Amino acid sequence: MKTILFFLLFFPFVGGFILAVIGRYLPRRVAEWIACASVLGSLLMASLAFGAAGEKRYLLTLFDWIRVGDLSASMTVYYDHLAAIMALMVTFVSSLIHLYSVSFMRDDRDYVRYFCYMNLFVFSMLVITLADNLVFLYLGWEGVGFCSYILIGFWYSDVANATAGRKAFVLTRIGDVAFGIAIALFFLILDQLSIFSINSKAASLSAGTATLLALLLFWGAVGKSAQLPLIVWLPDAMAGPTPVSALIHAATMVTAGAYLLMRLFPVIALSSNAMVIIAAVAAFTGLFAALAALGQKDIKRILAYSTISQVSYMFLGIGAGDVTGGMYHLLSHAFFKALLFLGAGCVIQALHEEHDIFKMGNLRQRLPAVFWLYLVGSVSLAAIPPFGGFFSKDRILLSTFGHPEPIYKFLALIAEIGAVITVLYTFRMFFVAFLERPSLQEDFRKKDLKIPKFMVWINAPLAILAIFAASLNFPEVFGGKSWLAHYLASIPGGIPLSPASAPLERSMEIGSGLLNIAVLIAAYFLYRPEARFLGRPTPVVFRQRLEELLSSGFYLDRLYQVALVKPYQAMARILWLKVDEGVVDDQFDATANIFRFFSSGLQLWTTGRLSTYLKMLLLGFTAIVSALALGWYYLR
Amino acid sequence: MINNFPWLTTIIFLPLAGSFLALFFARRPMFCRWTSLWVSLADLFLVAWLFTSNLQRHSWSTGKWLLAEDHPWIESLGIRYSLGLDGISLMLIFLTTFLTVLCILVSWKEINAKVGTFHFFLLFLETSIMGVFLATDLFLFYLFWEIQIIPMFFLIGIWGHEERVYATVKFILFTLAGSLFMLIALTGLYLIHGAKTSLYTFSLYQLIQTPLGFSTELWLYGAFLLAFAIKIPIFPVHTWLPDAHTQAPTAGSVILAGLLLKTGAYALLRFGFPLFPVAARFSVPLLLALGLIGLFYAAWIALAQKDLKRLVAYSSVGHMGIVVIGIAVWNTMTLSGATLQMINHGLTTSALFILVGMLDERVHTREIANFGGFWKKMPGFSAFFLFFAMASLGLPGLNNFVGEFLVLVGTIKTWPLVTWFGFAGLVLTVIYILTVVQKTVFEETRNEKFREQPLADITVREVLILAPLALAVLFIGLHPQPVLDLFEGPVGVLIGFLK
Repeated sequence: MKTILFFLLFFPFVGGFILAVIGRYLPRRVAEWIACASVLGSLLMASLAFGAAGEKRYLLTLFDWIRVGDLSASMTVYYDHLAAIMALMVTFVSSLIHLYSVSFMRDDRDYVRYFCYMNLFVFSMLVITLADNLVFLYLGWEGVGFCSYILIGFWYSDVANATAGRKAFVLTRIGDVAFGIAIALFFLILDQLSIFSINSKAASLSAGTATLLALLLFWGAVGKSAQLPLIVWLPDAMAGPTPVSALIHAATMVTAGAYLLMRLFPVIALSSNAMVIIAAVAAFTGLFAALAALGQKDIKRILAYSTISQVSYMFLGIGAGDVTGGMYHLLSHAFFKALLFLGAGCVIQALHEEHDIFKMGNLRQRLPAVFWLYLVGSVSLAAIPPFGGFFSKDRILLSTFGHPEPIYKFLALIAEIGAVITVLYTFRMFFVAFLERPSLQEDFRKKDLKIPKFMVWINAPLAILAIFAASLNFPEVFGGKSWLAHYLASIPGGIPLSPASAPLERSMEIGSGLLNIAVLIAAYFLYRPEARFLGRPTPVVFRQRLEELLSSGFYLDRLYQVALVKPYQAMARILWLKVDEGVVDDQFDATANIFRFFSSGLQLWTTGRLSTYLKMLLLGFTAIVSALALGWYYLR
Repeated sequence: MINNFPWLTTIIFLPLAGSFLALFFARRPMFCRWTSLWVSLADLFLVAWLFTSNLQRHSWSTGKWLLAEDHPWIESLGIRYSLGLDGISLMLIFLTTFLTVLCILVSWKEINAKVGTFHFFLLFLETSIMGVFLATDLFLFYLFWEIQIIPMFFLIGIWGHEERVYATVKFILFTLAGSLFMLIALTGLYLIHGAKTSLYTFSLYQLIQTPLGFSTELWLYGAFLLAFAIKIPIFPVHTWLPDAHTQAPTAGSVILAGLLLKTGAYALLRFGFPLFPVAARFSVPLLLALGLIGLFYAAWIALAQKDLKRLVAYSSVGHMGIVVIGIAVWNTMTLSGATLQMINHGLTTSALFILVGMLDERVHTREIANFGGFWKKMPGFSAFFLFFAMASLGLPGLNNFVGEFLVLVGTIKTWPLVTWFGFAGLVLTVIYILTVVQKTVFEETRNEKFREQPLADITVREVLILAPLALAVLFIGLHPQPVLDLFEGPVGVLIGFLK
C-alpha cells in the first residue's frame, strides 16, 4: 500500500521535475507523453489503492521532513475513504484535462512550461488530498497556489493576465495567514500536527478554542475557495488557458478549501457558532455569486462565478453538518464544471478566442457535439432532475433546512434563491450561446469553426459521469442505494447531524425539482432566439445600472482597489521617500553634519576624495596592528 | 588525529594566504582569478569535509565544541587566540566558503579593473568573516569584527557604482560608530570581570559567568546590541544598507547580504544574549517589536522601489526581522529556525543579487521600469529568477519556508501575538516579490531599446553559479534535517545560558 500511495503522489512530481530540467530538449511528443503518462499513472495508482484499501484506513510516513524539539513535520499520508474518493476524482479529472490540453495547446510554443506546471499542480493537489501532517498539507496548499498563480499568468505578455495571477496568489495568501496561525495553534494546544491525531484528540478542545480554530481554518479555506470576502480573484483567474480554469479553478483547487474543512471536521463540529458562520457566509456567497453570474457576458466569467456559487454549497453542507452532502456536491460539481469549462474551451477556440456569449449563437448547428456536451453540463449545473447536480445540491439544501437551529431555515431559503438564479444564469448562457442567432449567421459562415475532434470527444467520459453522478448516491427514498453515503459513513461527520425525515426529503426534492424546471422554462422565454431582438442591440433584460452592478460583481473589486490597494501603494512610496529616506535617514545625516560642523578644522575628511579616506584608514589600521604587535612583543 | 591539527586556523587563514598571492600577481588578472578560485575551492572542500565527517562534541578548555583551538596570545592582558567550532558556526563558515567561491565566479567578467587588489580584498574579507564566526575570545572576535569592515569599505568604494563614495562612507560610519560602543563595553566587561574574580580574561567561556548588577548589565548589553543591530540591521539603524547594497559590485552585495549581516545576528546569539542574559531578556519585547516593524516596514517600502538591487536590499531587512524575532524568543524551535534562516537568507538573497548583477551586465541598468518580458528573451535566467523569488517569499518545499515556519510556530508558545503578526507580515513579502517578478520577467519589455534587441540567455558559467545555489535551496527546503541536527547541540547549549 505504501508503494502504491508513494507512486500515486510522486508520479506527477517526477513528470514535472523531468519537464522542468530537461523538457526544453525533448521532442514535443515525448514531453506531452511524459506529462500525460505521469498523471495517468497516478490515476492507475489511485484506482489500485481504492481497490486494495477496502474498508481499511492507512497512516503511512513516506519521508521525514522537519524535526526540531517537539515539532515533527513528516511527509505522512492519511488514506481514508474521503481521501480515496478525492484522489480518484483529482487524478481522473486531471488525466482527462491533460489529454485535452495536448490538443488545446497544439499551437502554443510554451507547452513544456505549461505541462510542467500542470504536473506540479497535480502533485500539490494530491498532497492536499492525502496529507496527514498539516505542514505537509500546507506544502501542497501553497504548491497549488503557486501553480495557479503561474498558470493564470501563463500568457504573461499581457499585463492583465500577469496581474490576475498575482492577485490570485496574494488573495489566497491572505487566507493562508489564518491557516498558518491555525497550524501553530494546533501545535501549541494539542502538540500535534497530524490530522488523524488532531481529530482523535479534538474532543479535548474547549469550545472557545474550537471556535477560534474553526474560524481560522475557514478563513484559510475562504481564500482558497474564493468565498466572500476574498471572492475577487477567481473571476480574474479566467485569464489562464481554459483547461487550467477547468482543472484548477473549477474541479480541484478551489474545492480544496471545502476539502480541508471536511478533513478536520471533528474540530469544526465542536463549535456550533463557527458552523453557523460558515453556513451563513456560504449561503450569502452563493446568492452573491449567482447574481453576479447573471450579469456577465464572458462565458468563462459566468462559469467562474458559478464555481464560486457552487463551492459555497459545499461549505453550506459542512456548515449544516453534512460532510457527505458537501463531498457529493464536490464530486458532481467537479465533473459537470470541468465538462462545462472544457466545452467552453472548444467554443472559444472554434470562434477564434471569442469570449462574449452575445457574439456567439448558432452553435447548435455549427458545433453539434459540443452542444450536446454543454447541454449535459448545463442541466447538471442547473440542478435539473435527475442529473447529478440535482441530488447533490438538494441533499445540502435538505440538511440545511432540517437543521434544528432556526437560523438555518433562513439560510436554506437564501441558498434556495441562489439555486433558482443558478438555473436562470446557466440557461441564459446556454440559450444565448448555442441557439440560433439570425443576425450573426453571415459572420459565422465566413469563419472556420474547426477544432480537433479529439478535443471534443475527450469530454465524453465527463459527460457520462455528469449524467450518472446521481447514481453515486441515488437517495433511498426514491429506491436508490446511497452508495456514497454508505462509503463515507466511516469518516468523521459522514453521517449528518440531523437527518431529514423521508416524507420531508421526498416532498422537498420533488418540489425543488419542479421549481428548477419551471425556471428553466422561464429562462427559455426570456432568452429564446426570438425574444432577444425586440429592437435592442444586445439582449439585456435588466436596466443599465443593475446590469453594471451585477457584471462588476457588486463593485467589490473596485472597492478593494480604492480602499486597500491604492492606499497601500501610495503608502509604500510615502514610507520610502518621506519616512525612510526622510525622517529615519535624515537623523543620521544630521548627526553626521553636526560632527562635520565641529570638525570643520579637519577639512581633509570632507574632501570627498576616496584616496584620502583610504589612506587614513590604512594609517589607522597600521597603527592598531603595530600597537598590537608591539604589545605582544613587550608584554609576553 | 583530527583534533590535533589546527584545522580551524587553516580554514581561516588559507584565504588570507591566497589573497597575498593574488596581490602579488596583480598584474596577471587571469592568474589572480584562477588562484583565488582554487584557494577558495580548497577552503570550501575543507569545510565540506568537516561537514561530512560527522564530528562529535566534546569538552575543551573553552567549553564544548566540535573542534577548538586555544593558545595564549597576549598573556599579560589575558588575551588568547581561541577558536571554537559548533554546528552553528560550521554551517556559517560553510556558507562563507561557498559564497566566496561564487563571488569569484560572479566577478569573473564583471570586475576588470585592479583585478588583483579585488581578489585580495575578497579573500581577506573571507578570512575576517570566518574569524568572526569562530572566535571564542572576545578580543579576537572584536579584531575580526573590525577588520571585516575594511575590505568591504574598499570593495564598495573602488568597484562600486555611481554613488559609491557616499555609500561606502555611510557604511563605515555606521558600523564604526556601533563597534566603538562595543569596544567600550567590551573593555568595561573585561575590567569588571577582572576586578570581581581577579582573572583578567577575554574568554567568552569565562566572561559568561561574570556576575553583573542589573543596570551595569543593561548598559553593557545596550552597547553590544547597538553594534549588532547596525550590522543585522534592525530598524531604525538599517539605512546604510540600501545605499551600500545598491552601490556595491555584485560580489560585494553577496558578501554583504549573505555574510556580513549574518555576523551581526550570529554575534547577538553567540555573545549578546549569553553574556548578558538578564538584560537580554529585558530587551526581548523591544527586539520583537523592532523585528516585526522591520518585517512590515521593509516589505512595504520594497514595493515602491525603482531600483531592483535596492528592492532586494530592503527585502534583506525584512528577512532579517524574522531572524531577530527568532533570536529574541530564544527557544529550541525559534533558535534553530533563526539560525537556519540566516543560512537561507544567505542563499536566496545572494542568488537574487547575483541575478540582478547578471541582468545589469546585459542591459546596463537596474531600473525596474526598463525591464519586463525577459522570459521571452532569457527563459533560463527568468526561470532561476522565479525560482529564487519563490524561495524568498517562503514557498514550502524551498528553504526559507522551513526557517520562517520554525520561528513563527516556535514563537506561539510565549508570544502568540508575534506569531499572528509574523504570518500577516509574510503577505507583504508576497506582494512585493510577485510585483517585481511580474515587472521583470513577465509582461512586455517596457524599454523601447531592449524590446527589439535580443539578450543572451545565461551562459554555462552562470549556470554553474546558480545551479549550486538552487540545489542548496531545494536541499534545505526538502531535507533540512542534517542541518537542523547540527544545530541541535549548540542550540541546547545556548538555551542553557538563559535559563
